[in-house]
Amino acid sequence: MAVVAAAALAGTALAGCSASGQQRIVFAFNKREGIPYMQKVVDDYNASQKKVHVVMDTSGIGTTAAGFVRGNPPDLLLANFNNQAARYVTHCATIDLSETAEAKRVRPAVKTLVDGVGECPGRTSAVPYSIMAAGVIYNKQIFARYNLEVPQTYDELIEVCKTLKAHGIIPFYGTFFDSWTVSQGWFDYAAGGSVDLKSFFNGLDAQGTDVGPDSAVSFQKNFLPGMQKMMVLARTYSNADANSRIYGDGNTAMAQGKGAMYLQGPWAFSEIAKTNPKAQLGTFPLPMTNDPKNLKVAVNVDLAAMIPEQSSHQQAAKDFMSYLFQPRIIDAYNASQLGYGPLTDSAAQNDPRVSGVQSYYQSGQMYAGPSYVIPQAIPIPNLAQSMILGADPKGVLAVIDADWARFARRQ
Amino acid sequence: MTALPVVPPVAVGKKPRSSRRADRATLQRPNWPVTIILAICTLTVLIPLYVTVSMAFKSTSQAVDGKAFSLPHPFSVEGFKQAWTMTNTPVGLGISAVITAGVVLLTIFLAAFASYAIVSNWDRRFFRYTFFYVLAAMFIPFPVVALPQVRLTGLVHLDNPLGVIILATMFQLAFSVLLFTTFLRSIPHELEESAHIDGATTWQTFWQLIFPLLAPMSATVGIFAFLYAWNDFMMPSLIISNADHQSLPVRQNIFQTQFANNYNVSFASYLMAMAPAVIVYIFTQRWVMSGVTQGAVKG
Repeated sequence: MAVVAAAALAGTALAGCSASGQQRIVFAFNKREGIPYMQKVVDDYNASQKKVHVVMDTSGIGTTAAGFVRGNPPDLLLANFNNQAARYVTHCATIDLSETAEAKRVRPAVKTLVDGVGECPGRTSAVPYSIMAAGVIYNKQIFARYNLEVPQTYDELIEVCKTLKAHGIIPFYGTFFDSWTVSQGWFDYAAGGSVDLKSFFNGLDAQGTDVGPDSAVSFQKNFLPGMQKMMVLARTYSNADANSRIYGDGNTAMAQGKGAMYLQGPWAFSEIAKTNPKAQLGTFPLPMTNDPKNLKVAVNVDLAAMIPEQSSHQQAAKDFMSYLFQPRIIDAYNASQLGYGPLTDSAAQNDPRVSGVQSYYQSGQMYAGPSYVIPQAIPIPNLAQSMILGADPKGVLAVIDADWARFARRQ
Repeated sequence: MTALPVVPPVAVGKKPRSSRRADRATLQRPNWPVTIILAICTLTVLIPLYVTVSMAFKSTSQAVDGKAFSLPHPFSVEGFKQAWTMTNTPVGLGISAVITAGVVLLTIFLAAFASYAIVSNWDRRFFRYTFFYVLAAMFIPFPVVALPQVRLTGLVHLDNPLGVIILATMFQLAFSVLLFTTFLRSIPHELEESAHIDGATTWQTFWQLIFPLLAPMSATVGIFAFLYAWNDFMMPSLIISNADHQSLPVRQNIFQTQFANNYNVSFASYLMAMAPAVIVYIFTQRWVMSGVTQGAVKG
């Protein structure tokens, strides 16, 4: 027993102080698909200089959160900038990076997007690294076979669906069993394509706790037309067994050409490629109105860099951050992950699978998916799923309004 | 009433014999309904086990084709190779083994010490209250006290496997003390007295008399502690701050992502994590079975 304890202690003591007076910084990164690439970047950095030794921690967000509680969080976070990660920023637990060269290189439209997820007043706390632009994934071969053009308006979309259905092809492959696929794809695209989300959420914030059927803006009023269109697409133009299909089924079906369109982000491509690496796929924004000017693409900050206040190696972390943001490293990362570069000098994304939304991203015609913006205390994935499984959209949106008001009262 | 003395001897003499014969008959003749139900129950274990094994040997493209029950074709060990390097399996297994061994040994010894002290001094209020105090920990699951524990272990530099050993032992102690004390009460006090009369000290009595008698219950306590410590995810993931010292289940968390399925890699890794427990079980199943049922009856 004593031997065991001694062994455990000795092991910890050894790694605690690193050899030859090097600074040891911990770099938290847990995007599964990117780990091999990042490990190589870290190894190259460690080999390139002697001052700092970077250790990559892939244990996950739970361990990172524990680090914040304990007072020894990772020195540099490169994490999915969702509501959860944004809480470190909104609580001002991460340092101001506005003076760094990297923060100055961020495109203004992307900075607005990042600040929309979470900000600490007066600080630039998170520097975006990779942006995911999501839209409708479509099978180019099926579209070519029936001479279909990429639809620009909702009416054109319905025409495309009718043609496909007449030829016995499933227009949309739904995977409603996984609630996140409903909120990320169906709910977000339907809302983002039909509502000006920025002014909508500004209006909600201005109203405070006064959100309900009679308020100027509300989910039940502004979201309803989009949700009704979503229900048409989901109920009339989706596979009959969508309710029992999961994300993995959808990827396999798209790889086998069983569906023409798929409401997923670029992360699905590498999964589809596991079954069929030669699938010819593309992406376009889901049209929800009859004005092509309203076409917008759903974006989220897939990775953003943050340095915790509690880190005792902030300068070393900044140095490593600069290394990560070198054009050749950040561009190669985004090229391999089908992400879009957030910097003014970022290379264009040329992969044919996602280049269809490039122009929208470049011109700033984009929105952050409401399911990422609405606080997690309101279970949007489950509510969106209940809608798509048959609950009355009006009733579900009224629930979201009530939840929003309750959440606003608690703040 | 008057007929009773005449009839009963026959009835009494006959009945037990016939029922004993009936008992033997049911033992020899298979009880088909029960056998069938048990066979179906074993499927709930065998089917997932089959899927785990076959998935582990599939190629990545076959693993995501949605046919869980198909046999691996082509047969691939790529999943094992990837899992081995991605989770740094040898180190992870080693740390899990250290944590598990520490928790099992500490739990058995500490719980046995405490139970012996409590049962021998039951007439003293302090020991009775100690028992209730230790038992109260059963009602506090780790997630409830996770945040203060994370902070506390950080302050005293126990944010490492040793801290997990101490904490896990503490959480395992309540149930183990309950098992040991119930078992100790069934050991006649005269045994102990005779040892004392022969001049044994309390320490000697414990080591040479009581602890050997506790062996079956120690096995039970050890098995529960083993399963808990080996499989635990949450405590090591929150307490251990250095990623290089994480236990295997936490390392495997890397396979649980929303956007990607790597069934062959993850199942290969799960299989490797299961292997030590399965191997231990194969060699010790006799004791495990008697141990677990002992716990069930006593607890």
